[in-house]
Amino acid sequence: MAASAMAASGACLDCGKPVGATDSFCESCGAELAPLSVSDGRGGGPRACEVCPASNISADGYCEACGRKVRSGRDHQEIDLGMVAGVTDRGLRHYRNEDAMALATADAGNGPAVVAVVCDGVSTSAHSDQASLAAVRAGADVLLAAVRTGGDPLTASRAAVRAAADAVARLAVPTGDPPSSTFVSAVLRSDAVTVCWLGDSRAYWLADRAAAAEQLTRDDSVAEQMVADGLLSEADALASAQGHVVTRWIGADVSDPAPHVVRFEPPGPGAVLLCSDGLWNYQPEPAKLAELALPAAIADPLGAVRALVGFALEAGGMDNVTAVLAPFPLLGLPWPDRCQRPGGLT
Amino acid sequence: MNQPGFTLDVDHNEYLAEGARDINAVLTVTMAGTVPESPAGETDTAEIIIIDCSGSMGSPGSKIAEARAACSAAVDVIRDGVAFAMIAGTHKAAAFFPEDGSLAVAGPQTREAAKKAVARLRPGGGTAIGVWLRLAHQMFTSHPARLRHTILLTDGIDESESSDDLDAAIKLCEGVFSCDCRGVGTDWRVSELRRVSAALLGSVDIVPDPAGLAADFSAMMAKSMGKRVADVSLRIWTPQHASISLKQVAPAVEDLTSRRTESGPQIGDYPTGAWGPGETRDYHLAVQVSDPYAVGQQVRVARVSLVAASSDGPEVLGEKGVLAIWTDDEALSTRINQRVAHYTGQEELAQAIQEGLEARRQGDKDTAEAKLGRAVALAHQSGNEETAKLLVKVVDVVDAATGTVQLKKKVEDADEMALDTRSTKTVRTRK
Repeated sequence: MAASAMAASGACLDCGKPVGATDSFCESCGAELAPLSVSDGRGGGPRACEVCPASNISADGYCEACGRKVRSGRDHQEIDLGMVAGVTDRGLRHYRNEDAMALATADAGNGPAVVAVVCDGVSTSAHSDQASLAAVRAGADVLLAAVRTGGDPLTASRAAVRAAADAVARLAVPTGDPPSSTFVSAVLRSDAVTVCWLGDSRAYWLADRAAAAEQLTRDDSVAEQMVADGLLSEADALASAQGHVVTRWIGADVSDPAPHVVRFEPPGPGAVLLCSDGLWNYQPEPAKLAELALPAAIADPLGAVRALVGFALEAGGMDNVTAVLAPFPLLGLPWPDRCQRPGGLT
Repeated sequence: MNQPGFTLDVDHNEYLAEGARDINAVLTVTMAGTVPESPAGETDTAEIIIIDCSGSMGSPGSKIAEARAACSAAVDVIRDGVAFAMIAGTHKAAAFFPEDGSLAVAGPQTREAAKKAVARLRPGGGTAIGVWLRLAHQMFTSHPARLRHTILLTDGIDESESSDDLDAAIKLCEGVFSCDCRGVGTDWRVSELRRVSAALLGSVDIVPDPAGLAADFSAMMAKSMGKRVADVSLRIWTPQHASISLKQVAPAVEDLTSRRTESGPQIGDYPTGAWGPGETRDYHLAVQVSDPYAVGQQVRVARVSLVAASSDGPEVLGEKGVLAIWTDDEALSTRINQRVAHYTGQEELAQAIQEGLEARRQGDKDTAEAKLGRAVALAHQSGNEETAKLLVKVVDVVDAATGTVQLKKKVEDADEMALDTRSTKTVRTRK
């Protein structure tokens, strides 16, 4: 089936028949209207060299003057689905991007829904870039199918983690630690937000009144444990050598991943933020993050999420950075028009 | 023309520490397959044997006699259809087979005629190696064959011309033909023949006893008959303002850095000569970038292509990038690449021997013992047994592991020259 069967006019590109405002599939021909968008590197062709802008770029993406690998593919990707937008970036100190994200919008039966997954490949393991990509795709697939059929988001979230873990476990590794990854997902519907996670990728509720912002996840990390045990302050724990070691993850070496799942009913308008530690390392405070993202996040999620990633890069970009923002209440109308063509990577 | 399978491999630690500028890699080039039966009507190979006929070749008389036998032995190995000729060298150069200065086509009759001509060689006159090379150059360039090879035998010093004359002749012949050089006896100069063999991509060795010449000539000619592809070059792109050095490190150390010819922007070609099936050579590529790149940056610090000259222009046989990633992870950047380390040691071994022998000639005993001691230790560590055997004929080893040695009181000239000529021979590592 065509992967891009949606027109801004609200007609199916495959058969030309009108489509409903919240349809996921064309009622006439069955073409998928809003499939998953994944930061898999497609569409991110080689750009100009940042240092030698006038030089040629070889077919495999290196500057012909200075030899630098030019940013391409997964190095920097943006996905804008209107109701939700995400940006992932290699950062300034790592040579590849081991973060990944998958976003989708859907018809949940009683209104639109948003599905978002962010995974951060554990860099000490093999193929961590492939692990995160496989995990976001498998996890978001399960969540998208569930919201389209009116499934329970809590149950679906646990199933999504299992699917993501299976996908990571299937990656073959010749040597070294098996591929592994963190996981954080959010399902936004008209009534509530369901958040599920393992590891230290986070979800925040950024209220338009910054003081009401809160962190929805608790890290599975040594630092979090030390704080919980009253051994260290949060700042000292994060600064400690082992602070960033994750204590739960998905991977072939974990037979039964035990994710955390919470249901959250936003008390007012705001936005849900999913992010990897490449962002929150530079600003863990919910209220400060809310100040960075709002009010732009409500009307222009892509602009706000670009600002967040730009902030992390300005601050040093020590790690890969990924941020996803989805305003709440959902930007419902008229959402097929707002929705970029599937795979609408810029 | 479609060349048989060449492979090009790169081995290095691609992680560089923050601030580092030097990238070292081992390039391995292999020509696949085995030598096929000689193709009928072979026309692409040409051989010239150059024999020193100076007066000294007559004393003792066995020298000229064994040289004649060696020529005949080499002629017997030349395949049917190969173009060949022989030059008698003195202070002049004379084509004595064929006498008109052309190249004969090898076959039963021409081989017999050549051997009869060899038997008529008589010693008398001086030595002007550059003149011999110029005649070979003239004969080769009037023939279409592209796999051009010479064997050059001398027994003395290049005394009938200036050093500049020899250099000019070498320069003329570079890239035109290859030359394996042999010195018989101990009255010739290693450094002189090495100048010829290095520039003309051949070997140099000592044959201390004239009786060993025939076997050596047969072996050299057989090896040359195994060559199938002429004029293969390594073409290397590097980033702007980078400096580059390239050495062949196996089977022997040969510095190719100064052999570079520019072939495009930031691109240079380094000649490797002719190749035969089953042949493998290793090269040490060192690139120094002008400024370190930022941590996290992935950079192609070299793009290496293997290029063969053909009648339709250069043909690319293979290409590999040499990549580098700057990192602040010391566990990555401090990894030792075993093959780079091994060949760095073999290069130092060759240099220590040559410097040690030079110090010994100058009478600087302390430096000679320090350098040759270091050589003993390196040969010991790397398992280079051939070189270790040559070293113990020049020094008494007190402790091989630490490289403690004493110069021998009495050293045979032949042993010193054998150590000198073979100092560049290396042992390979497993991949």
